[in-house]
Amino acid sequence: MPKEVMERRASDNEYLHRDFHGALSSALIYLEERFGPEAVREYLGEFAHAYYAPLREDLLARGLPAIAERLRRVYETEGGEARLRLTDDELIVEVPACPAVRHMRARGYAVSPMWRETIRSVNEGICEGTPWEFELLQYREDTGASTGRFFRREEADAQ
Amino acid sequence: MISCTEFIPAYSELFRYLDERGGHDEVVRFWEYLSDNFLHNLRDLVTEHGLRGCWIYWSHTLNEEAADFTMELDEEAGEFRIIMHHCPSKGLLMELEQMEPYHDYCGHCDLLYRRVLEPLGFECIADLSECDRARCSFVVRRAAGRSAPGAAGIEQ
Repeated sequence: MPKEVMERRASDNEYLHRDFHGALSSALIYLEERFGPEAVREYLGEFAHAYYAPLREDLLARGLPAIAERLRRVYETEGGEARLRLTDDELIVEVPACPAVRHMRARGYAVSPMWRETIRSVNEGICEGTPWEFELLQYREDTGASTGRFFRREEADAQ
Repeated sequence: MISCTEFIPAYSELFRYLDERGGHDEVVRFWEYLSDNFLHNLRDLVTEHGLRGCWIYWSHTLNEEAADFTMELDEEAGEFRIIMHHCPSKGLLMELEQMEPYHDYCGHCDLLYRRVLEPLGFECIADLSECDRARCSFVVRRAAGRSAPGAAGIEQ
């Protein structure tokens, strides 16, 4: 058979490699097994604090619409659904099924028992240094369905 | 949720996190784990199809990653080659203003794939000399004197 050649430019394809969810899940499994659950939270929190620095600045400047816009973008890209209820002081995020968990289950990838921390620790990391707080209200291991809430930190301090 | 489009910065930050905990050896230990536990797809494809398994595997991943590349498969010569003109992962990391890429970010590619392919009878040659410009190449060849999986009847 003659030599086969494939040439591609970046613009030829959409950037969407869902198997990366499986790689992240493997990483969380490894971290938990080697260093314990706190390492998973610490790593995700540090990642969120560093990577989402522009989002945190936007959150400081504009408040919760900055978070809502990001979430709409992410779930649309991933082919998932996020139901958002936004007021001046609160953002409720209801996800009927996590598209990452759906992909991993379909492809047979192991889903980290700490996958919920990709929501909780990441959102806590995003809120760090801002007047906002995040709490994870519900999470289902089988589908990754979740309900979370962003709210003003003063409310958290008063509780 | 961390989107799969945000995975690469998370990956790079994981390498940094592991390095801070235990140095580069700790990062390498993770790469070995990931190769052994995550790359079943590549291992299975190469076991079944030989060198063509590389072609099948990277046809999927590099297109989904929107890479700028040339890929060649020459089964008669026993060689598979990827020339990465612009790596989407390293390119993305280099564009970020809020964080620095892990200093040996590109090292994972060589280790992960070599660890799968060499036990299957191939040799791997990675050229990472231009990875600071998001360019590299990766060549997979049948190792001399070894018949590769998926290539029954082909003698070297």
